[in-house]
Amino acid sequence: MTETHDTDEVIQPKRLGLLAQFAGPDELIAAAEKATDEGYRNVEAYSPFPVIGIDEALKAKGTVLPWIVFAMGLTGCLVGLGMQLYMNAYEFAGAIWGLSGYHYMISGKPGPWSIPAFIPVTFELTILLSAFGAFFGMLVLNKLPRLFNALFRSNRFADATTDGFFLFVEATDSKYADTETEAFLSSIGATGVEAIDEPTSGHALPNLIFLVGAAVGTLALLPPLYLYYVWAAPTSTAPRISFFKDMEDQAKYKAQNTSTLFEDGRSARPPIPGTIARGSGKDDIPLYYGVQQESDLSASNAATPARFAAFSGGKTPARFVQQTESDGSPDAGDAAPGDDGEGQPQDAQPADAGAEGEAAEPNWVAEFPEALKINEAFVERGQQRYNIHCAACHGLAGNGDGLVSQRAQKVSGASWTPPTNLHTEAVVTQPVGRIFDTITNGRRKMPGYAEHITPKDRWAIILYMKALQRSQNAAAGDVPAEVRREQPSAS
Amino acid sequence: MGLASADIPVSYSTPSSLERGKLGYVPEVWNDPPWIEGDNDYRSVTDKVCRIAENPRPPIAWWVGFLIAASIAGMFGALIGYLIVTGVGVWGNQNSVSWGFPIVNFVFWVGIGHAGTLISAILFLFRQHWRTSINRFAEAMTIFAVVCAGTFPGIHVGRVWFAYWLFPYPDTRLNMWSQFRSPLLWDVFAVGTYATVSLLFWYMGMIPDLATLRDRAKHPARRIAYGILSVGWTGSATQWRVYEKAYGLLAALATPLVLSVHTIVSFDFAVSQLPGWHTTIFPPYFVAGAVFSGFGMVLTLMIPAREWFGLKDIVTMRHIDCMCKIIIATGSMVGFAYLTEFFIAWYGGNPYEQFTFINRAFGPTAYAYWIMVTCNVISPQLFWIKAVRRSPLLIFIISIFVNIGMWFERFVIILSLERTFLPGSWQSFVPTWVDLGMLVGSFGLFFTLFLLFCRFLPIVAMAEVKQVMAHVDGLAKRSHS
Repeated sequence: MTETHDTDEVIQPKRLGLLAQFAGPDELIAAAEKATDEGYRNVEAYSPFPVIGIDEALKAKGTVLPWIVFAMGLTGCLVGLGMQLYMNAYEFAGAIWGLSGYHYMISGKPGPWSIPAFIPVTFELTILLSAFGAFFGMLVLNKLPRLFNALFRSNRFADATTDGFFLFVEATDSKYADTETEAFLSSIGATGVEAIDEPTSGHALPNLIFLVGAAVGTLALLPPLYLYYVWAAPTSTAPRISFFKDMEDQAKYKAQNTSTLFEDGRSARPPIPGTIARGSGKDDIPLYYGVQQESDLSASNAATPARFAAFSGGKTPARFVQQTESDGSPDAGDAAPGDDGEGQPQDAQPADAGAEGEAAEPNWVAEFPEALKINEAFVERGQQRYNIHCAACHGLAGNGDGLVSQRAQKVSGASWTPPTNLHTEAVVTQPVGRIFDTITNGRRKMPGYAEHITPKDRWAIILYMKALQRSQNAAAGDVPAEVRREQPSAS
Repeated sequence: MGLASADIPVSYSTPSSLERGKLGYVPEVWNDPPWIEGDNDYRSVTDKVCRIAENPRPPIAWWVGFLIAASIAGMFGALIGYLIVTGVGVWGNQNSVSWGFPIVNFVFWVGIGHAGTLISAILFLFRQHWRTSINRFAEAMTIFAVVCAGTFPGIHVGRVWFAYWLFPYPDTRLNMWSQFRSPLLWDVFAVGTYATVSLLFWYMGMIPDLATLRDRAKHPARRIAYGILSVGWTGSATQWRVYEKAYGLLAALATPLVLSVHTIVSFDFAVSQLPGWHTTIFPPYFVAGAVFSGFGMVLTLMIPAREWFGLKDIVTMRHIDCMCKIIIATGSMVGFAYLTEFFIAWYGGNPYEQFTFINRAFGPTAYAYWIMVTCNVISPQLFWIKAVRRSPLLIFIISIFVNIGMWFERFVIILSLERTFLPGSWQSFVPTWVDLGMLVGSFGLFFTLFLLFCRFLPIVAMAEVKQVMAHVDGLAKRSHS
């Protein structure tokens, strides 16, 4: 060796340690105990199955794995609970990419938290992350995956996973010495001792392979990224390609299409003869619109008004804009000034309204339509409907002091527009047709009740309202003599 | 020389000086007979198990089985393709019975998947050493059953290309998130967690055995494949120490998990308001049924496998006997649950509930109910007879009955949808050929995966068997003393 030393350097393999084989698990424990008693510290035992008692013999320390698992489990629990609260119980306005969270309101129940309903997912995530901690923690603490190990070069060591029991004394041990240690291992019952060197032959992977691999991996990302880019921001005007037919593509006729199914070739069908479409058949103009029979309905507020509401933060009262499609005047009808809560100037002064550029007041009927039978049953019907639909705001007696109004005044104070007192001069002098129109289409803050109350019931309510108005302005003489009670002080 | 017969004193508590039953009588210590029979040592166990995966020419029965199973699995794939292209109308599902076969099959397969983790985890925690011979098998079965189970909700959503809607993800169009108060979402998390943890548990248990296969491999391709799969395992005391701790922790985690999964699956039914579903007995009854069906399937697979692969010494009749006893226990629990359901329906006084149960037993689909009762309640009771527990053929037949019965149990539950509150919405369920084809097809997928597992992976946990041999059966002490 020394002769060739100058010309061709002989690689002296680095000694890693000595591997000693033992007959069985009991021998392994005994040998490990003797080795550690002798003072060896860097000793490792290898066996095909966990040998009970080997850890004590090797004087090994315990593992921190349980703490890793605990930390992961706690993380899973908190992440699970936090995720559900964030996703289901709160909203963060202005968050990007759909990350705002979503506050589900379930049956109007108070509070955003539903801890009992969140238990299952929290539990599952606790288990999942704990299991990750156990599995990956095991790999990390064992320094795995580590596909190469010098011990695998030993043929004898191949039995370590079948029936071989080994003790490996590392060369780094302070007590280690080649010959003494070998003698010691033989003396404690080793059936064979083998020196393990660091391998000097073999091929390591060339570094280029990592570079090429990284380049190929990066390039492979480009096609999917390009496809995503095309999909996310399409520039083509052609309809998009659907691999699966979604609901955007349905087997139905679209408007104005032709059809081979019918003789006239139209897909849109005319009404079937003899049927009446919803909303038609209202020939009795006073009954259904509250205006004279000969009125031009197209000029009236009553004809299919479109109403828009604009609220401004609850500070100023609501402003309603009523539009009629026919007369082309967008501000037709009454656009009440924002702060006008009490009076009803337009109603009382039609001339004023005209001066503001509004369409002329329709020709309201002043009497109840002839189609109605005015009798006591009709008044009682009106009272019943009034108490259901009107009294909540206008009050049971019509003073504009219903429970809704009282509550709203408490909550909103001055910003609340109180409902009209039905006994004011302006309302009392109104023609019944005008009141009918108010109930039907609404006025100012009051919504229309056409969907809720039938035309006849609207008239019944007006009749009852007239009775209420009369009761508020009644003289003693209005009360029939037979029910009048003598008042000693008054007479 | 048989280690078992000669060296171990098999003593069945013989009366000592004092007679049995008398005051002061102390029975002798029960010496467990060895779990591994025959003349086996560590190397012969390794040889017997590894031979199956190393044999270059698998037995002809394997080939026949694999070809049949793979064809059926191919049909399953074709049917799924047909479903996706056509739509869910190819099933018999309708307005009333909206869940139909897909959910029956889902619950059936998830239930089967429970035995694996139960054997691995719960029996591990209870130090039941007999589990070591069968746990790998049962864990593999769990994974493949969960694969079959997961397929069905995936395709049941209708438009499968939107199946990712099941998971919480930020949706930029709606700005909405999953509804975490829904049992169906709990189900996604439960089954997903269960599949993941079962896979980790199975794979981690296999690492030492994959290392054995690596060290025995002759062909470089096998050496590299098993080398990568075994992640460089050496079997050092340090590795075993951490590994055992991790295994114990995983077992402790998987035990509540396995109980939670079928509990949450039962919530899919129990949290609804339907008569026959809205009961608190569902969670325990589903878990017992799941263990019951899982053990049935383990027996169905284990009995032919130990025959064909020559594992009779390692998976002994004592192992089979233990499983039969668990079947009696869980089968009786399930039978008791059936009785309780009827009692509560009568005692609860809810006319809809009463109608549902009378309809189950005597209505137009009574056949399903009585198949269920016969297979699940009556047939396992035969295991009380010792001769039945000793006959692999009878055990195999009864295990098939258990499988059939447990499928019908889920079918009966789904059929409750046929007749709910409003007679106007009553509708009879008729499965289509696609329904039946998918049921059969899922078995094809299951057996295909299972036969591949038998062919390429260690089907018995060798390291654990050796540990039981050394520390329980006393091989280590005996062979040198």
